[in-house]
Amino acid sequence: MRKTRRFVLAYLACAPGLPLMLRSGLGFAAGEGQELDAATLRSLVADPRRARSIGRSYRAQYPAEEHPGVLTGLIRSSLGLGESAAAPPNRDALISVLDARVRAEFGAGNIVRVDGWVLARTEARLCALCD
Amino acid sequence: MFVDARTLPQKFVIDADVCIVGAGAAGITLARDLSGNNRRIALLESGNFDFDADTQKLYAGEVVGQAYTPLERDRLRYLGGTTNHWEGSCREFDAADLADWPFGVDELAPFYRQAHDICQLSSHSFAPQDWSTDEARPLQLGEGAGVKSGVFQYSAPTRFGTVYRSDLASAPGVTVYLNANLVQIDTNDAASSVIGLEVACLNGNRGRVRARHYVLAAGGIENVRLLLNSDRVQQSGLGNQYDLVGRYFMDHPFVPLASTIVAHAASPEMGFYDQHVARGHIIEGYISASDEVRRKERLPPFAIGIRPAGGLVDAGVGNMKLPPTLRNLMSENFANGLTYYLPRWLDRLESPVRWMNQRMWRNPPGTYTTVYTCGPDPDPESRVTLIGTVDALGMRETRLNWRLPASFERDMQRAHELLGQELGRSGIGRLRIESSATTGYDPIKDLGEGHHHMGTTRMHDDPRRGVVNADCQVHGIANLSIAGSSVFPTYACDDPTMTIVALALRLSSHLKSAPG
Repeated sequence: MRKTRRFVLAYLACAPGLPLMLRSGLGFAAGEGQELDAATLRSLVADPRRARSIGRSYRAQYPAEEHPGVLTGLIRSSLGLGESAAAPPNRDALISVLDARVRAEFGAGNIVRVDGWVLARTEARLCALCD
Repeated sequence: MFVDARTLPQKFVIDADVCIVGAGAAGITLARDLSGNNRRIALLESGNFDFDADTQKLYAGEVVGQAYTPLERDRLRYLGGTTNHWEGSCREFDAADLADWPFGVDELAPFYRQAHDICQLSSHSFAPQDWSTDEARPLQLGEGAGVKSGVFQYSAPTRFGTVYRSDLASAPGVTVYLNANLVQIDTNDAASSVIGLEVACLNGNRGRVRARHYVLAAGGIENVRLLLNSDRVQQSGLGNQYDLVGRYFMDHPFVPLASTIVAHAASPEMGFYDQHVARGHIIEGYISASDEVRRKERLPPFAIGIRPAGGLVDAGVGNMKLPPTLRNLMSENFANGLTYYLPRWLDRLESPVRWMNQRMWRNPPGTYTTVYTCGPDPDPESRVTLIGTVDALGMRETRLNWRLPASFERDMQRAHELLGQELGRSGIGRLRIESSATTGYDPIKDLGEGHHHMGTTRMHDDPRRGVVNADCQVHGIANLSIAGSSVFPTYACDDPTMTIVALALRLSSHLKSAPG
């Protein structure tokens, strides 16, 4: 009975929305031509609280990716942005690039399981960046 | 014609061309199909037209290993057999399902066509796109997706004892003997031919059946019991020279809350994957592995259904507040099943009941849970054996030791990972796999079974690997055949009834063409 209650609570906790829904609109940290940094990436996450929880678990699973700099580098690289490449010009463009990347990772089976969630590697890293 | 065996004279003798033991889906199908051409068909049914508690007790036995519904409650022992509580789910086995069978889909196809009609299905199509409607569409899966959609059609469901009762009453040459229990299969000294059956009634009446051919159609546990109890000549039991009778028992494990799906607001509804009405008929879509992934990863055949997450329904599995008196009358599994199916059965009803049900049980849109079932690999240690206790007729009772493979949970999670991957790729949403290790909820604790008894007299051309040959004849016994899901060498992931019917029709065609 207790376990079932726990399930219900967990279920309710996740019910309102996706943990990683990306947020368009205000708060795009990187200006045109600027490098894509951790703050910009964090600002894309609509629900940082839930993302943090998943991110914590991801970092525990992959301690080599503990450092935000490493995570940012890996995300940049997965988006095809080299060390000195500029960020996409605006938030919507970045979201579009990220979305395409995430879908491609799902398609290629480049996925991780974190707290039970089946996630694309890059979106899991994005969560880890929020922690 | 129906005859109550209790009213026959003591030491009665029944002569027939074919004697069929068990009047469930297989036995009734066989009897109806064999009728005619001056054939005399004796169909023995342990029960009567309706449920009787004393007869039902003859099913009692012991359960060890994986939890299972008490054996005396799992099946029904009267005319129509277990179809009397069949839910009606139907699907044809496909080429991958039959990969390890001695024949393929082409062999079964003509019999499936007949089975559709016998199971009162509306359409011969199981193609998902043929059932797509504006209200419920199959997901648009990408090229090379690891999963695919399928469809179960729902029969009325056909209660064979009710629907075909008048047919049996008037079928030329068919006599149904009610309250007639097979208690011993007598063979010649070499155990190569059956020479008669001993029959007993609960009122003490006894008699014999003499026929040219005999068919056991008593179900996946009872067929075993009848063979193993018939040990006068072959001491290990009939057909059991290689210790195979009763092994490879399998049911379809059923996990009602295996994962949670959270869909984007703009994502399509997933009602296709729940029981619903399409084109006036009840169907249910499901997700399974693509043929390539199934082959490459050696996953068992599985079916994932998707349900709107309903707090009351889903949280209530096993815990719903049924009145204690009602719950005490039911087995735990049946009670769980009731809490699971009741709202869905209600949902079949027309408004306003349906309207109320949807508001009572349904939840916010966009959140779903999945139900998982599969047909694990055959396991010789998952088996039915005899125990020392005997029933009211002196027959040794059975012990069921159902075993699930060690890989069960891992395979279930992998199946959901494949679905989660596709949901992510198509941008529909994300999936969370429930497990005690990650989400704190252990879906395995609510694992139930499909009440499908399969594999215990499996089919294989090599007598060292199967109890019956490809024609369902018991190896080494020329005039004894077996009908039903006990002959399945592998189990697919769905209700076996329609395949039982198709196989019974196939066996009937063999028997009709047999010389003499």
